Amino acid sequence: MATVNGMRGVSRVPAYVVMQPTTLCNLDCVYCYLPLRAQDRRMPVEVARAVAADANAWAALGRFSVVWHGGEPLAAGRDHLGALMAPFDAAVEQHVQTNATLLDDAWCEFFAARGVRVSVSVDGPEDLNAERVSRAGRPAYDRIVKGIGALRRHGQSFAALCVVGDPRPGVASRLYEYFLELGCDTLGVNIEEREGVNERANAHDPDAVRAFWAELVGAWRADPRIHVRELEWSLRYLGAVLDGTSDDLLPRELDPIPTVGHDGAVVLLSPELAGFHDAVHGDFSSGNVLHAPLSSLLAEPRHTSWVPEFLAGVEACRDTCAYFGFCGGGHAANRYFEHGRFDGTQTEHCRNSKINLLDGVLDHVRRAG
Amino acid sequence: MSDALADRIRDARGELTPLLEEARLARLARSEVPGADSTAVCAWNHFENIPTFFNWNNRPR
Ligand code: SF4
Repeated sequence: MATVNGMRGVSRVPAYVVMQPTTLCNLDCVYCYLPLRAQDRRMPVEVARAVAADANAWAALGRFSVVWHGGEPLAAGRDHLGALMAPFDAAVEQHVQTNATLLDDAWCEFFAARGVRVSVSVDGPEDLNAERVSRAGRPAYDRIVKGIGALRRHGQSFAALCVVGDPRPGVASRLYEYFLELGCDTLGVNIEEREGVNERANAHDPDAVRAFWAELVGAWRADPRIHVRELEWSLRYLGAVLDGTSDDLLPRELDPIPTVGHDGAVVLLSPELAGFHDAVHGDFSSGNVLHAPLSSLLAEPRHTSWVPEFLAGVEACRDTCAYFGFCGGGHAANRYFEHGRFDGTQTEHCRNSKINLLDGVLDHVRRAG
Repeated sequence: MSDALADRIRDARGELTPLLEEARLARLARSEVPGADSTAVCAWNHFENIPTFFNWNNRPR
């Protein structure tokens, strides 16, 4: 068995940083992993200024992005989000991941003026969106659709992230048609995961999951206008196997993906860990940008107690899993929330979203061929 | 990679090849959209012409 290269250690320079402008979310989705989503703890502008000092330097070297994530970033309000964005140079790409319910003309103008790229969270047509609800438990679907309508009116292109709670045949083609109609240009499909405060089991029938992915390929193939993250990566990997180049497809090192919480605390590799506590690893954080520059917090990732354990898990995946060259070794949060540790290998998440994905794509070609 | 998985993929070469070609053409068509510079799919990021945080590997969700 040839050794797959890449994902050895953690890079000192990230490609993007995830920022939490507020912990507050105006929705209360059933599967949400965020522990503080009912409280409005806002990020002070000093935190953004501290991050920008390094981000502006990284953007001068290559593509670099800030992703305003949640809470619901729009719940911070335009004035405050604008003040947080101000310290970043124009070369820094700005993205927001939003639940779309607060989007209106004024927000669209705000995004257009700043070149902000927008990604919305929507799980498909109304009946598949039942998990996205307000704090009073009322469906948010109408408000989501109205918000996306504002984007379309303003000609603002957008990506979409979709959580699939019940992956099975019949669902995938409906979803794909829905997103074609919605008009997004990029789509990420997440099978629901057990993370953070979402403790619902996520063991799905493996045959149903494979059939879901196989059906998605068929639907996409009939009208491949949307860049579907999971399918793009699968096809690039399969092409590389046919070309004999698949052992060198993964990035050389893991991206640290620092998440900067509302208070300036930095969590590496997995935004889902931010806000949690563990008896051994404390708050998982690697320091605070108000006390030390972000670049210095990224200089020695192994000094964060859980990171060496996670890197051992990546190596265990490399040594034992046939899908490593495709997968890259799984996410820290999935390992932690499923196994209680970081050095395990297979998780429900990787079975649903890596192994059964690749196998589903292969099932499709076998049937279509 | 285990030989079994690689073999399964290579065995499907005949059916995979047209699918991979369709994907290549779809990518070309997407980057030819007028005003492509202002869309969410505008800058190269190692394998994906997509927002950095839509990256496949160790991405957040
Ligand atoms: S598929 Fe699972 S076990 Fe295999 S490399 Fe990925 S995370 Fe590890």
